[in-house]
Amino acid sequence: MHRNLKKMAEAVQKAPAVLQDIKNQNKKKMIGYFFPVFPAEIIYAAGLHPVQLYPGLQEPITLADDHLQLYLCAYLRAQWDQILKGKHDYLDGTIIPRSCEAVTFLYQTWKRHNPFDFVDYVNIPWKKSANTIRFFTKELQRVKNNLEAFVHGKITTNALSDAIMLFNQNRSLLRKACELRNTRNPPFSALDTFNMVMSGFVLDKKEHTQMMTELLRHVEETAAPTTLEPLTVRLLLSGGCVLDTRLLDIISSAGAMVVADDFNNGARSFQPIVPENEAPVESLARAYAIVPCGFNTAIGDRFSFMANAISQHSVDGVLFAINRNCETEKFDYPVLARKIMERFKIPTMLIETDYLCAMGSMQTRVEAFVEMMRGKDI
Amino acid sequence: MEIKKRERPAFNRDIAAAMKKHYSDTRSRKPLAHTLMSSNPLIEVAYAAGIQPAFPENYACVCAARHASPTYCSNAESHHYTQDLCSYCRNNLGYTHSHDGEPVNGGIGDPDLFLMTSSACSHYFKWWDTLHEIHQKPLVFVNTPRVMEPSNRPDFYVDFAQEEIRAAIGEIETILNISISPDRLVRAVYQSDKTVKYWQKLLELQKCIPAPLGLSDLSNALFVLIVLAGTREGADLMEKIYRETSRRAAEGMGILDRNEEKHRLLWLNIPFWYNLKILGYFENRGCVFPMSDYCQYIWGVTRMDSENPLEGLARKSLEGELNTSLDDHIHLLIRDIQAYHIDGVVAHSNRSCRVLSVGLLDAANIIREELNIPVLVLDGDHADERVYAEAETMTRIDTFLEMLGG
Repeated sequence: MHRNLKKMAEAVQKAPAVLQDIKNQNKKKMIGYFFPVFPAEIIYAAGLHPVQLYPGLQEPITLADDHLQLYLCAYLRAQWDQILKGKHDYLDGTIIPRSCEAVTFLYQTWKRHNPFDFVDYVNIPWKKSANTIRFFTKELQRVKNNLEAFVHGKITTNALSDAIMLFNQNRSLLRKACELRNTRNPPFSALDTFNMVMSGFVLDKKEHTQMMTELLRHVEETAAPTTLEPLTVRLLLSGGCVLDTRLLDIISSAGAMVVADDFNNGARSFQPIVPENEAPVESLARAYAIVPCGFNTAIGDRFSFMANAISQHSVDGVLFAINRNCETEKFDYPVLARKIMERFKIPTMLIETDYLCAMGSMQTRVEAFVEMMRGKDI
Repeated sequence: MEIKKRERPAFNRDIAAAMKKHYSDTRSRKPLAHTLMSSNPLIEVAYAAGIQPAFPENYACVCAARHASPTYCSNAESHHYTQDLCSYCRNNLGYTHSHDGEPVNGGIGDPDLFLMTSSACSHYFKWWDTLHEIHQKPLVFVNTPRVMEPSNRPDFYVDFAQEEIRAAIGEIETILNISISPDRLVRAVYQSDKTVKYWQKLLELQKCIPAPLGLSDLSNALFVLIVLAGTREGADLMEKIYRETSRRAAEGMGILDRNEEKHRLLWLNIPFWYNLKILGYFENRGCVFPMSDYCQYIWGVTRMDSENPLEGLARKSLEGELNTSLDDHIHLLIRDIQAYHIDGVVAHSNRSCRVLSVGLLDAANIIREELNIPVLVLDGDHADERVYAEAETMTRIDTFLEMLGG
């Protein structure tokens, strides 16, 4: 395994400790945010370290039960539990986007129970129109002003433009790495890809971009061994947040390969291509407004995004791995599944995931799904 | 559960008649728009445009009260809408996919268009988009922001909401090939504001001891406040409701007699629509609910200047309980618990209504600590009675009442 892949995996597995180390070294304040719908370029340009927040998958939920009921998303409950337990003490603030009710609650309760220096909420447009983009631009400008007050300094146009260029480069490298899933000789496993994307939420963006550059150069210079068996089933994996890597192992051991994805900590996160020579805040608003997360995207637009991936990557089937109590993704599933079947005549299956859940029945279902597709001519 | 028969205020019969007419109108009048009950500025716009609105949420409440929701919810589940989705939505999707049997209350007509706002629960965007996909009818969407700090609301929010409403009016005109007269919009907003004025006066009367109305009466009156917002019929009916309640208050007439009313309770969240008799059980034990956050804070909080209808409707869409902070909400609760002489709280932890249930446990703890009054948390669902545990709920209620001394 390339050393950068090892380092990325470590950054994901030990994210809180790695972040604390980074903070000790670069002395930057750290701002957490949820989902790839907020332009972290603004945080970066303010001289802060952006962290896209996800819970660690080791800790039973205990303290959060006093605040959040069991019928709310367990990943959010786990996130809040770990904040209450001080697992994210490296954070100095957070930015919460409008998404589901549980996330919205985090904004409300964060100030009450764990008052960081900076807590802000940002409305993300659900409808894409000139009026909503203008609004989103003003909303981002408002958050930018608040961050400037927090750091006691201006976020200059140059700093923002530089951040946009750096983040664009980073996303372009991630897209390129994920495109390699579509080759006969994919150099990266699904777990490698997961770690590449997730480590980008932890590490300094410059460092991560450098690591990705080195990694892809290494791939170009090395003839990777053939790992894709002739009958490997090619899957698109869809869901809100796919955090449990045991699912990736199950898919792989069932004889399938994730060649494309549609989740927040995957391809959705490197969708924005921000124009570099225009007014930066407006450019960010236009680019981020169309990140295809479930909560801010109409079913028709989500289907377009998925249909594009299905066509480009010759997908054999779509596996929806949706967290229990994730209303957003659950709502879209029936119509998306129908549209996929009608357009592509390929099967879909829904599996329900949960925080620290048993994987036995999930394994059986995934194996059956893959087996069913193997029975067909692929 | 033996419930003592009590004479309810006469206006309930008027509301029942208005409801019957409304449901009949949703089957006979065209064009028909399915729309939302939340702080929805398009209700007044619909009436001004001569569009008949229909409200699937209200229909879900009706179905739940008639014990039909489990059937509709099961039907939705068979179409892959899982049990962790809101039961109002599942009720509606199950109804939408039902093609046989006599619908409850005669049903509601098929939509010609959908009128949607984001000043509602977050997942309603998904629900309405799903309906748009199923029916293949136009969706007009007012994408207002959520206001998290009302005291610090940016000025551009109101301007933006006005632009959204203006754009929606243009879309409706194009879709239906009509012109919405500004005068009719002014009149609709005037009637809506008049309805709100009498609603707010009505809520004030609930501070009287004994409480002139119970929670079921207030919940009925919500139909007038929301569904008939923007109509003369609605404004006149709300005035009538207010006048009758005012007489009751002046005469010291309560749902319970003065010597019978031992405890005044606050109900948090939506009632169990399939088990409203539980309110009668509380009444049997000398308890009334003069207020609830559901009736008090979500709707009817915005007075509108009919001379500036778009501005008024924009503010309506940015106010109410869904546009508040947890701290502000708790502050309001504590203020009103004192103003309404509340001495106990029943909090429905409603698995289908996350927007009213997140923060509920925090609110319960703070009320216990700051006001030293008991809070009972009941698990349940507003429409899907399959997840309601009667025996456990009644045991908990009895224990709570013993604590209260009821």
